[in-house]
Amino acid sequence: MSIQWLTVQSFQHNQDLLAAINKLSIHLRLQLEGDEDAERTGETNKAREMLSSFFREFETLVNDTERGEGMPVLGANPRLRQLARSFVTAKRNRRRFRSPLFRKGAGYLQQLLHSDIREDRQALLESLQELRVLVEEHMHVDAERVLGEF
Amino acid sequence: MRDILRQNNTDLLREIRLLREHLEEAASAIPPELQPFHDWIMSICDHLQATALQNLADLNLGRDSILPDILSNTQVLTRGVRLFNQRLVSPVLRARESDRLCLKMLRWIHSTHSSTHHIPMALSDGDFASWPQPNWPTIYFMPPSAQHRLLYLPLFFHEFGHLLYSCQEPEMDQLIKDLQKMIAQFLEPSAQRDDRHAQSEAQRRRVIVETWYEWVHELFCDSVGFQMGGPAYIYSFSMYFRVLMRDQYHVRPEELEHREHPVTWLRIKLLADRARRMGFEADAKALEDTWREIAATMGVVEDYYGFYTDEFLPSIRETIADMIVEAAPRAFEAHEVSATELLQLDSASKPSSPIQLLNQAWRKFLDNEDDYAAWEKKAIEGLLNDATLK
Repeated sequence: MSIQWLTVQSFQHNQDLLAAINKLSIHLRLQLEGDEDAERTGETNKAREMLSSFFREFETLVNDTERGEGMPVLGANPRLRQLARSFVTAKRNRRRFRSPLFRKGAGYLQQLLHSDIREDRQALLESLQELRVLVEEHMHVDAERVLGEF
Repeated sequence: MRDILRQNNTDLLREIRLLREHLEEAASAIPPELQPFHDWIMSICDHLQATALQNLADLNLGRDSILPDILSNTQVLTRGVRLFNQRLVSPVLRARESDRLCLKMLRWIHSTHSSTHHIPMALSDGDFASWPQPNWPTIYFMPPSAQHRLLYLPLFFHEFGHLLYSCQEPEMDQLIKDLQKMIAQFLEPSAQRDDRHAQSEAQRRRVIVETWYEWVHELFCDSVGFQMGGPAYIYSFSMYFRVLMRDQYHVRPEELEHREHPVTWLRIKLLADRARRMGFEADAKALEDTWREIAATMGVVEDYYGFYTDEFLPSIRETIADMIVEAAPRAFEAHEVSATELLQLDSASKPSSPIQLLNQAWRKFLDNEDDYAAWEKKAIEGLLNDATLK
């Protein structure tokens, strides 16, 4: 009996997360450039909801991870635990990750998600861009297992 | 960049349309049990097609600022199409009339639970596994030879356990979290030190506690297997693994770290414990004796290197019992599994349920291996012709 359930769930979760990031990112960019992009509003709200629920869960995981290397992260699957550890490591790498998400945490991003202030939207965009990098780097393990290597 | 992305999205669109044609051609030849999965696959085709068209529309906006987002969307779509192409369409394109045995059993399994009766399912070739997600059809994998027999069908109950888990993931995760806290307390040293050795011990305790997340998940699925299938599940599970590898009995300590399944011998021990507590003393003893005998022949001594001690057992029992209550799988009934009743059943009489049939199969096999094959052939025909089993 193989552990495919975990790999495929993680793979699909990351695919959905990236799709939500991209949807919201395109919408925010177009709005910042003066295009209301009204036809995408419904889809964008769904993306916001997904990201909000992800940030809520992720904040708890990151807090647990930051309690120290000897402290276990409880009630989370190994792929999510790994993502939280990658995030904590990335926070220390200010050359690559310096957006508000990595400086102020996932909880702060929750506030930005629904803000209409231009500066907040800009900060959200920067954060989404770096979150995308983190998730893309993280998901290669699942992608290799699900799709194989060429 | 815009031209590169336009080329890729146009090509993906062609690929999706081609797959759609193949799927439409295959539709007339698939077993009726696979129709709901086929409908879902076609809806995924529509979704992939709409994503490619949206990417092309976004490219036509002519905004350079969103090119990185369209690139990422194209990558998501490319992986989505690969997954669709490599894994999701094959249960339809490879479908055979002989899939009906497994599909009928799987459809019955899904029909037994209010959270799963509406979820379509499909069968594919491979080692026992599943892709369980509440908002997706479940794909079950099974080795081809096992697909034509009754003896290994009970292993589907374990895979169904993964689906039940995913349907109630937050509640289940919380129960596992509580158990992990208890295991962490068991492992806590009586005296605290603050040196390098203490740090490395803390790391080791962390690994053990985290590893139990995956282990409880698997033990829960084993319990679902027994809860639904009764003794047929434990015989099926034991037979499938008992002469496979040395590591079913013993795993080196460094390989236990973050191992995705508990050592199989430990799973047997806990299955036997559950069977015994539910009144199946003879089956529990047979199971333990078989594994002990094979281990002794290999010279293996039972050791889990601190990842499991009998001190954990009461908490594990309690957690699994709570998870079973939460998941509420269909439980076998006494008349479906009673050894005496099963052996006395007339070979012409129709089993009262698939559970009775699978337990009857194991009793027949254990009673007389030589006559079993002929009996199984008739029993499968009976199951396939059973119009009452939807």
